[in-house]
Amino acid sequence: MVPVRYNIRSLLVRKVTTFATAIGIALVVFVFAAAQMLGEGVNRALANSGRTDTVIVLRKGSDAELSSTLDGERLNMLRSNSAVASSAPGGGVIGESVLVITAELADGSGGISNVLLRGMPADGMKFRPEARIVSGRAPSPGTNEVIVGKSISGRFEGIAPGKTFEVRRNRPLLVVGEFETGGTSYQSEVWGDLDTIRASVGRESVVSSARVRLTSASAFEGYRAAMEADKRLNLKVMREDDYFKKASEQTSGFLAGMGMVIAILFSIAAMIGAAITMNGAVANRTREIGTLRALGFSRLAILTSFMLEAIFLSLIGAAIGLLFVQLLALVSFPTMNFQTFSEIVIRFAATPAIMISSTIFAVAMGLLGGLAPAIRAARISPVEAMRG
Amino acid sequence: MNSATYARRNLSRRKGRTILTVIATAVAVLIFCAIRTVDVNFMAAVDDAMADRIATRHKVSITMQLPKRYIDDVRGIPGVTKATWGNWFDAKDPKERIPFFQGLAVDHESWFDVYDDMVVDPAQLAEWKTTPSGVIIGDKLAELFQVKPGDKLTISSGIYPGDWEFKVIGIYMPSRRTVDRNSVILRWDFLNNDPRAELVKDQIGWILTRIGGNSSSAEMSRAIDKLFDERDDQTVTMSERAFNLSFMGAFAAVLTAFDLVSIVILLIMTLILANTLAMSVRERTNEYGVLRAIGFPPKSIFGFIVGESLLLATLGGLLGCVLTYVLINLMLGPWLESGPMATMFPYFRTPPRVMALAMGLALALGLLAGLLPARRAAKLKVTDALRRVD
Amino acid sequence: MATESSNGASIVTLKDVTKTFYRGKEPIHVLAGLDLDVPSGSFEALMGPSGSGKSTLLNLIAGLDRPTSGEVTVAGANLSRMSDGQLAKWRSQTIGFVFQSFNLIPVLTAAQNVELPLLLTDLGGADRKSRVATALRVVGLEDRMDHYPRQLSGGQEQRVAIARAIVNDPKIIVADEPTGDLDRKSADDVLTLMDKLNKELGKTIFMVTHDPAAAEKASVQRKLDKGALQ
Ligand SMILES: Nc1ncnc2c1ncn2[C@@H]1O[C@H](COP(=O)(O)OP(=O)(O)OP(=O)(O)O)[C@@H](O)[C@H]1O
Ligand SMILES: [Mg+2]
Repeated sequence: MVPVRYNIRSLLVRKVTTFATAIGIALVVFVFAAAQMLGEGVNRALANSGRTDTVIVLRKGSDAELSSTLDGERLNMLRSNSAVASSAPGGGVIGESVLVITAELADGSGGISNVLLRGMPADGMKFRPEARIVSGRAPSPGTNEVIVGKSISGRFEGIAPGKTFEVRRNRPLLVVGEFETGGTSYQSEVWGDLDTIRASVGRESVVSSARVRLTSASAFEGYRAAMEADKRLNLKVMREDDYFKKASEQTSGFLAGMGMVIAILFSIAAMIGAAITMNGAVANRTREIGTLRALGFSRLAILTSFMLEAIFLSLIGAAIGLLFVQLLALVSFPTMNFQTFSEIVIRFAATPAIMISSTIFAVAMGLLGGLAPAIRAARISPVEAMRG
Repeated sequence: MNSATYARRNLSRRKGRTILTVIATAVAVLIFCAIRTVDVNFMAAVDDAMADRIATRHKVSITMQLPKRYIDDVRGIPGVTKATWGNWFDAKDPKERIPFFQGLAVDHESWFDVYDDMVVDPAQLAEWKTTPSGVIIGDKLAELFQVKPGDKLTISSGIYPGDWEFKVIGIYMPSRRTVDRNSVILRWDFLNNDPRAELVKDQIGWILTRIGGNSSSAEMSRAIDKLFDERDDQTVTMSERAFNLSFMGAFAAVLTAFDLVSIVILLIMTLILANTLAMSVRERTNEYGVLRAIGFPPKSIFGFIVGESLLLATLGGLLGCVLTYVLINLMLGPWLESGPMATMFPYFRTPPRVMALAMGLALALGLLAGLLPARRAAKLKVTDALRRVD
Repeated sequence: MATESSNGASIVTLKDVTKTFYRGKEPIHVLAGLDLDVPSGSFEALMGPSGSGKSTLLNLIAGLDRPTSGEVTVAGANLSRMSDGQLAKWRSQTIGFVFQSFNLIPVLTAAQNVELPLLLTDLGGADRKSRVATALRVVGLEDRMDHYPRQLSGGQEQRVAIARAIVNDPKIIVADEPTGDLDRKSADDVLTLMDKLNKELGKTIFMVTHDPAAAEKASVQRKLDKGALQ
């Protein structure tokens, strides 16, 4: 083995070159990790939103709550099954009305986005034990009071505690508090009273969707079979977690997929950068390599030595990239839930798996970039190197 | 010979390195162009909207409907030449072969007058006006469904239950390249008379208005909104561009992320160029000492190095533009436009202005990359440079 | 001390010149209170042990470096008072350089290497061409114009370097161990050439060398030891 000291020295001597290359690799690692963190963030927001013991009922043919409608008769039908946990809040079944409203960004840019407004019955909040008020208070049932999810609170004109916004003329909704649901997509919604909200869109008699709490997660298949059996009811019954998972697949798949394609394209450039640097390292040390060969070091030892140097280089890059990508955890990123067209604000989420895969990615870049120069180094003949 | 000869010849010194650097620059330019192309074409439908068309929708929500009688009110406003309306049908392929296409339920009498960039054969249009269950579909979608006029077409909807049977009456062709060629256009009255649309009976999704030559779209928008200001359902009227944009809402953030990412690739490119320059300058320090001794002033040395950097950037930029043209405009673009992604990208080509921008940026960043090594070399003392032998 | 008389006026005058380098904080006094007079048109050789300061002295005369104290006057110009920019211009007009390791630009042909200093003048392409041809003829390499340095022998390379040194018609040629990297035969060719430049073209030559045979060719031999001329 050629002492590792030589490699470290070589990297240190050529500071500018080492630094430029490592930063190049760092940028690619940053993009690679950020894309995965974004996907993971979406997964956490959407996929974790659902529970396994809860089902969501939509009108058949609808993919999303937004385009679904259920009337009171169907809502009642949902209760008449022994699998329903009737002791749960709302008797185990709540019908909700969702509406996507256009809201103007509060940053003064004049930009607009869509926000999901959810009308729920009195027990709606209790039905979701993970939801809790973090400031202000819960809305009083039957009033025009609403609460805003913490992720979007203050992002839009009028949708912040103490402010009002209109869904129907002269019937302002008053924001009385902020709530949190542990980072899930609900946290990007506005919640209010079912009757107030559906009245304001002129759909007093119907809800968009229903949620049913089952006695246990295993009761799902039986319940679904029973509800979907009656073709006239035209119902679609899904586990709540599956419903959100499907929503997240589209969004996170799109984001992570795009990010990954970009990172892989980027890595071509970074790999060439590493190759240039390693080539330079070999050229600079032709004499030294010749000496080492003359001293009896094998070709393999030289090859290993340069591959190691390439790995060091990429590890430096990976370390810098991963260090800076941690800062993204402080950033929230507004993206679109493709199922509802509305905005969900997500956080970049780092996991050990992402850190590890990014490091492996960086090392792979270094190895690929360093391979040709290392082979070149190993093929240097001691005689020629000493002469030239 | 002139001073440029030296800068040019220097590139041939380490051919491998020059080639790698040029390729890396070209790849960066290619990626930059590709990202900008996604961005530009994503916004193309938005940017390509007609200036004399304005859209009116429910003030509160893109999903809320307007009463049908609003159309008559709009048509009564002076300055309005034509107006039509449409509803979302949220069309789906019941067999799920075609992943995504648009379904619109529209007023058959006026739709194609307002949307005159969707061109339909007059005979087919006349037949459609007498066939309630008829649809006119985009040429690309007709290809995907493998249907021709006279065929049956079964479609389902995310909003209205069950399968919907239609008869294909005609094919519309786009007269501009950003017009979506994957839409199925059905008659609003056919939908409205169906019991499955009970909840939205006599309601319309949005109104699209054409305005006369000398009225401003801002004024007309205000006039329309003012008309409905005292009604239960207020409206918001905007340019067709803003209307198209409102469906992309939070997508803007993704596009912003794209923009950031395209800056990152430029950074990487700059680093690679700077690295190559730094290595070359380091190897040639002694030579710069000789030139200085002969009497070349520091600014000449500076010029040699920056010139070399610009030359590298130019070569990389040009190669990148050629690659972009071949890979995107000749290969990826035509493939995307005819594949399943066609709805997202009806037109996917890198416009010359994007290539020009990439070229300009490559040159600017090449200059930047050369500055630091050039400054260092120019500042070196002659005697120190001459003593340097590594 | 070098005060011997000569047929011409002094072209190089050093008065009480000191040069001190610093290695970190520790000063290295290379030249201490050195006086030197080089008459115009002479061919001088400077010898001395390694590290004695020969190159340092040469650099001062050539205007590549400035003394720590004292006056350096070359061809009527007081170098101690000139800015870097003025020095560069002055060098291009007054000094021709010959280095031990030739220092030709490998990517330029012999003719282009010789042409380099002319790029600093206002001469047009045709004038430059004829000057290059003349310079190459003087060194006997007019048939090698389009050869690259690596296609030339060491002796030929050094002769191209000499052509580069004279193409601007400088008053003084400074050479730092010009024969150090050459075999005897090539070295003799180069020395004969230098002698010719001195005798036929009247160039003042100041040459640092370790080679006694080279020093023989010069009209004056000086010895530098421990920062002082013997
Ligand atoms: N830039 C510098 N910084 C520090 N020390 C220097 C510098 N230049 C020269 N020296 C020192 O000054 C002394 C004289 O150096 P110089 O190169 O003039 O010697 P020389 O007589 O030409 O030797 P040689 O025959 O080996 O070429 C040496 O000790 C050298 O280390
Ligand atoms: Mg010396």
